[in-house]
Amino acid sequence: MTKKGIQFRLIQPGEADFQKTRGGFLSLKLGGEKRYPRVHLYRSFPLSEAGRYISVRDEEDAEIGIIEDLAAFPQKTVRLLEEELERRYFTPVIEEIRSLKQEFGYTYWEVGTDSGICRFTVKVGDNTARVLSGTDLLIFDVDGNRFELPSYESLESRHLKIVETLL
Amino acid sequence: METERHAATYYREPLPQHVRSLLGREDTGDVRLSVRADLDLAGSYRDQWVCVTTDELLLIDPDSEEVAFHALKRLRELRVENLVTTGILTAKIGRTRTILARFSNTHIRRFSGFVKLVEKLEHGEALTDTDIRGDQQEMYCPRCGRRYPDPHRQVCPRCLDKGSLFRRVLSYLPRYRRAILLILLCITASSLMRLFVPFLGGRILFDQVLSPGGRYYGRIAFVILLMIGSQLASMLLQIGYGRTNARVAAQVFFDLKTDIFTAMQRLSLSFFSRKQTGGLITRVNWDALQLQFFFIDGAPYFLVNSLTILGVGTVMMLLNWKLALMVFVPAPLIVYAVKKLFPRLWALFSRLFRRRSMLTSLVNDTLSGVRVVKAFGKEEQEVERFLPVNQGLYSAEVSARRLAATVFPLFLFIMQIGGLIVWAYGGRQVTGGSLSFGTLMTFVGYLALLYGPLQFMTMIVDWWTSCMNAAQRVFEVIDAQPEVRESGNPVRLPRMAAAVTLKGVSFGYEPNKPVLHDIDLEVRPGEMIGLVGHTGAGKSTLTNLVTRLYDVEDGEILIDGVNVKEIATADLRSQVGIVLQETYLFSGTVAENIAYARPDADRSEIIAAARAANAHDFIVGKPDGYDTLLGKKGADLSVGERQRIAVARALLMDPRILIFDEATSSVDSETEQKIQQAIERMIRGRTTFAIAHRLSTLRRADRLVVLEKGRIVEAGPHAELMERKGVYHKMVTKEREALRVIAVGAS
Repeated sequence: MTKKGIQFRLIQPGEADFQKTRGGFLSLKLGGEKRYPRVHLYRSFPLSEAGRYISVRDEEDAEIGIIEDLAAFPQKTVRLLEEELERRYFTPVIEEIRSLKQEFGYTYWEVGTDSGICRFTVKVGDNTARVLSGTDLLIFDVDGNRFELPSYESLESRHLKIVETLL
Repeated sequence: METERHAATYYREPLPQHVRSLLGREDTGDVRLSVRADLDLAGSYRDQWVCVTTDELLLIDPDSEEVAFHALKRLRELRVENLVTTGILTAKIGRTRTILARFSNTHIRRFSGFVKLVEKLEHGEALTDTDIRGDQQEMYCPRCGRRYPDPHRQVCPRCLDKGSLFRRVLSYLPRYRRAILLILLCITASSLMRLFVPFLGGRILFDQVLSPGGRYYGRIAFVILLMIGSQLASMLLQIGYGRTNARVAAQVFFDLKTDIFTAMQRLSLSFFSRKQTGGLITRVNWDALQLQFFFIDGAPYFLVNSLTILGVGTVMMLLNWKLALMVFVPAPLIVYAVKKLFPRLWALFSRLFRRRSMLTSLVNDTLSGVRVVKAFGKEEQEVERFLPVNQGLYSAEVSARRLAATVFPLFLFIMQIGGLIVWAYGGRQVTGGSLSFGTLMTFVGYLALLYGPLQFMTMIVDWWTSCMNAAQRVFEVIDAQPEVRESGNPVRLPRMAAAVTLKGVSFGYEPNKPVLHDIDLEVRPGEMIGLVGHTGAGKSTLTNLVTRLYDVEDGEILIDGVNVKEIATADLRSQVGIVLQETYLFSGTVAENIAYARPDADRSEIIAAARAANAHDFIVGKPDGYDTLLGKKGADLSVGERQRIAVARALLMDPRILIFDEATSSVDSETEQKIQQAIERMIRGRTTFAIAHRLSTLRRADRLVVLEKGRIVEAGPHAELMERKGVYHKMVTKEREALRVIAVGAS
């Protein structure tokens, strides 16, 4: 492996021009000349460092470079990039639990999230809940959808009992 | 996101009134397909509708009332892209690729199918009812409308109740009707005998024997002998039923374990790769053991104790109903306590079992990886990883046991109140002359008889909850449907010509992680295909699909023009042979291993196969020859020897299609040549899919298929591909390590 192969290219705010295409995707013009009509964004640390080390890839999924820190970019660009990232890492944040029942090894949720009201089913056991930092939980439903449950320890005790069975 | 609506037509979901009026037509007869996406383009949970008419694709937003029309002719490359938790439907409109719809993972499969149907329409093909219905199994429970949470298990947890679980456990009993009847008789008789004793020791002894004027005055020995006699009879009956029960319970245990093991054998490969195998084995042993306790200890004692309680209650009522009632005053308290604490105890014990298995997995994990742990010097880190998990188990254990320890003495205390009441009320009655002293003693005696069973009844909670938990897990294994099942009308193909075709095959082990994309391949009978590519390119996956260890959902695989899903499993398995990198040899003799596919093969056939595999010489050279025991207790074979036995096994099977995953370990060149020769003999005349590493194998192949990221990038004979100087050429010449191409001598 050459040294070149180990180093990765950092994409600096000054040289990168991200735009939204007519079709709703993200395009990139790098350094004034190289044009990528469509780029994919991947989070290297989706759970622990969502805003840093974003891998920017071309249509063939080959890495163009890495954005070290989203915050270094202008606000407008950050919004654009986060919109694109949200598309891939769509994880609604649960704001209220409207109903939560546990029956026979499955839990049935009806929640209000920051993306609207939603219903899903989570299996008990099988690593369907993962603790993020502190008391935030990441929950996986039977279809592979993900939901974030912040400060789960401050839930009502009847809900807390059920959530604890997932851990 | 789910809805509880019953989606009977998978690709033509009924449009709500509002949507229909937006379309400007009440009669939606010309809407061929309609599917609902649960997200809008901005990522909020708002249903959007995607409909297809004869010549248009419509996107309907019911809230904003916007309808977008796209002529199907102008839409190209309609496809679904899998993102981590969502999917998007995109198409090229003119030159711009546009996002048409977004949806959560729940709908990815539906939209993928939708895209295929749209393609069909575009090609002018008509859509059949089967197309519209989709080949999805029922996703929703017909009784309550809730979704089956496990797609592979059509069991609705809500409609399934614990009562039926228990009945199901009981269903293992009817086979032993007579023995059970005997047991029941013994139990009843034994309990009755025991009931006699307090009566004899109280009323009879005090009132009739010891009191002057009593009917049996002075005949102490007689009464004592009667008491001893009753106890003895009771004990003998108890031994009787104990012994019978032991046999019956062991038999039931045997039946259950057989069912579990058979079910596990029947299940598809995906079941084993999904759940941790350690968990499975624990399940089989431990849970079946739990159920055994139920049959040996729990059920009979439950009966004994229920009968005792009933019997005691009845006798007490007959003797002095007022006093009897007093004894049972605390009963409602108990019922209330049980109802409140029962579910809580169940939950705590479930949590305990879960944490226990988590700890076991962790320990297994660490211990099996001990080499890595030591090499990296991470022993302390592993201990730190262990501590919180152990802590978790400890706290779960403490809470569960604590509750159990609270419940039990609580019940005891409540019952003792009963005793005190008897003494108080009874005592008053005796001094008042309305109750004989002997009767009071009988009551006290019966109370003592009552305590044991009542205590047991409180322990029942413990035993019952763990038993039902175990039963649930066991039945989950027994019920799990194998994903790969023989079709209802299997096609017999006893002698395959072995032409293999793959059409548009796409596959992933998990729903949104595809491994193979759109594979098209036609293989003639007897042709040898070398599969080439980097690790993870999809080579092994392809072979798993051809052998139907997993089923494809997109595209089809045909053998002799028949879809593999239709071919009778027996014919498929007997004519498709596999030789893997990791040779798995069972505990058994060399001969048994070679004859695994055909246990009825005679000795000369086994030797012939071994000779062709260049294994005969080293086998005969061993002290036990073909009778050498292999496996854990048996001989250690070298890698080259194992390979050749695997080749011999395949040769004896004589399959029409051979899947061959070449081992990459290097051996000395003399052995290498022997192996090559053996492989050559194995491949000759069969349709072979070889995951190739040796240069000689690559050259030998009729065609090479180069896979990259799940797609076929190049295909053709070795010479042709080398001339092309493309991907293949690069792999062979420059990046030998990538392929781990083994060249022997001057190849």
